[in-house]
Amino acid sequence: MVCVLLISGCSIWPGQDDSANNKKVTLTLWYWNRSIDDKLIARAKEKFPNIELTAQKIGGDFKAKLKTTLAARSGEPDIVALNDWIMELFPSEDRFYNLYDLGAGDIEDQYLPWKWKQGVTPNGQMIGFPMDTGPTALFYREDLFKEAGLPSDPEDVTRQINSWDAYAAAGEKIKEKFGGKVFLTDNIATVYNQVLSQAAERYFRPDGSFIGMDSPTVRKSWDTAVAFKEKGLLANADGWTPGWNAAMNNGEVASFVGAVWMKQVLQEAAPDTSGKWRVARAPGGDGNNGGSFLSILKSSEHPQEAFELVRWLQSPENQLEQYQTLNLFPSAPGVFDDSAMTEKEPFFGGQATGPVFADSAQQVPDAFFGERYPSVHNIITRRLNDIAKQNANPQQVWTDTVHRVERELQR
Amino acid sequence: MWEHRALYVAISPFYILFAVFGLFPIGFSLYLAFHKWDGIGIMTYNGFNNFKYMLTDAEFWQAVGNTFMIWIYSTIPMLFFALIIAFLLHAPFVKFRTLFRVGYFLPNVTSIVAVAIIFGALFANNYGFLNYLLQSVGLPVVEWLNAPWGIKVAISSMVVWRWTGYNAVIYLAGLQSIPQTLYEAAKIDGASAIQSFFRITIPMLRPVILFTVITSTIGGMQLFTEPQVLVGNDGGAGAAGMTIVLYLYRESFINNYFGYGAAVGWGMFLIIALFSIVNWKLVQGKSS
Repeated sequence: MVCVLLISGCSIWPGQDDSANNKKVTLTLWYWNRSIDDKLIARAKEKFPNIELTAQKIGGDFKAKLKTTLAARSGEPDIVALNDWIMELFPSEDRFYNLYDLGAGDIEDQYLPWKWKQGVTPNGQMIGFPMDTGPTALFYREDLFKEAGLPSDPEDVTRQINSWDAYAAAGEKIKEKFGGKVFLTDNIATVYNQVLSQAAERYFRPDGSFIGMDSPTVRKSWDTAVAFKEKGLLANADGWTPGWNAAMNNGEVASFVGAVWMKQVLQEAAPDTSGKWRVARAPGGDGNNGGSFLSILKSSEHPQEAFELVRWLQSPENQLEQYQTLNLFPSAPGVFDDSAMTEKEPFFGGQATGPVFADSAQQVPDAFFGERYPSVHNIITRRLNDIAKQNANPQQVWTDTVHRVERELQR
Repeated sequence: MWEHRALYVAISPFYILFAVFGLFPIGFSLYLAFHKWDGIGIMTYNGFNNFKYMLTDAEFWQAVGNTFMIWIYSTIPMLFFALIIAFLLHAPFVKFRTLFRVGYFLPNVTSIVAVAIIFGALFANNYGFLNYLLQSVGLPVVEWLNAPWGIKVAISSMVVWRWTGYNAVIYLAGLQSIPQTLYEAAKIDGASAIQSFFRITIPMLRPVILFTVITSTIGGMQLFTEPQVLVGNDGGAGAAGMTIVLYLYRESFINNYFGYGAAVGWGMFLIIALFSIVNWKLVQGKSS
């Protein structure tokens, strides 16, 4: 706290600007580990000699820290990175600069339109500048697919396993072939999330009204997830647990639909399976999961300088560079054809997975989330877990979930 | 008063700190409990709605139930083992007593997050150590972290592991304060070891037992880190590991209902107060 006060001290006392300091503008940037390349930040300092940049890597619960700071109205950074929970901050749009006012409109055509829209509030204020994205695709074990008599070449997989029904049928084949020792996919939440991520319509309309639990998208996602459980296609390995890592490494899971950043997660979790994985387009369509944004807080005294910095940090060229250094997938389609995106990857048996994700990224449907998306989504995935792990009656859980969501929305 | 102002200045740091970090938050949370606030935007007056919502929320009552179950699962074995350990540590034939005392106290100062990670590895459904043991003796595996009771056992065992030594040290202090002459008199009157345990040791230890029961009650009702690290913010499968404080945390800091979280905090305060009184009456009652 003291540090933050000291650092932002210069901008609090405007009188200091005159005192021979050759008018350097002080800016603070909050980001989390691996969201921006540290070398790029070092280069930004050379590129903008008029800016005294203090980049702070915030550890722990980033969102909680940011919200506490916003609530306290003191010690706020000038620029802050936001994750895909950006919509939770839409009701507080007045705490952020409208990036359109700072000139963001000029470069809008360089970025993926659906990604750009995710940073714009229903009132048309742009509070988040696109950073990386999370286009999804099907990660699968080529050797296991081949052994089960399924298509194993990425292009064949894309063509033949193109719907959730075809994918489930492939799962039945795998189950039969390996006598239940290998599961099609990891857990029920993944299935639900991915079916949902392929649709344009979620839980809310842009005017904030609730579409209802009987919307075709929600029903389809729910029914698909439950069907996967009932057919015994789930390994019940939850993400971000040692159990998931072990299941991947031991070859208990033959595939999963995941975002591009899962490449890194998978490589670290399952080093023993190197060379056996491939990536194809996801069954049922393309979607997006995750990705981040940069925002400029209203408390900043130098929004224009901050915007120039943001614009440079996330320029297509710098996004491409961060794809190479940190595996952050660009949101600027102009660099998708670059040779860096088509490099062969040994973990994926020499396949160049970049183009698969690039194709996916360009097909992601526009989606409106709404600030209550996280709480509704959380209620549903939580209940799905009861079906998957405690064999709860799906019909019962559905009724219960509908009731619970209605209650939540009345608050 | 003014002639003593140096003295008041000298004692003021505590009161100033208490006012800032103790009194103000308590008052503010009461104020907040009657408001709706997402943590950033404006606060709006909400009357008793937060409390109404809490009393009609099935998840809140489930959290209350879970907390009591975990409290029972953990406190009974914990105090039982603590008493036995204290008794052994007090016995004259035990050598290296200081070493043992330090050893039993160590779990209490171990980082709880590290503890939860280790217990997570012990109880994991797949590739967990306990399931490995069960399998190696030919028993079926138990899905500890999927079964409602399994989650509670895992959390309780963490509490037991962490607090048994602490309570043992307190019991030991109690044992050492019992005058040796009482035992000698009993021995002369022909009392057996068991008789003197139940007729002298236990009655003389009652205030200490009361203390440990009350502290375990407060600690047990406030259980948070163990379930949070072991099964996550949602309390694991079927929310079986959702405790009252975990519920409070999720509603305030994950779902951003700060006013509601404050109301839950006050609800929890009432539950702890009532439950402590009940425990106190129970333990006291036996003596009179």
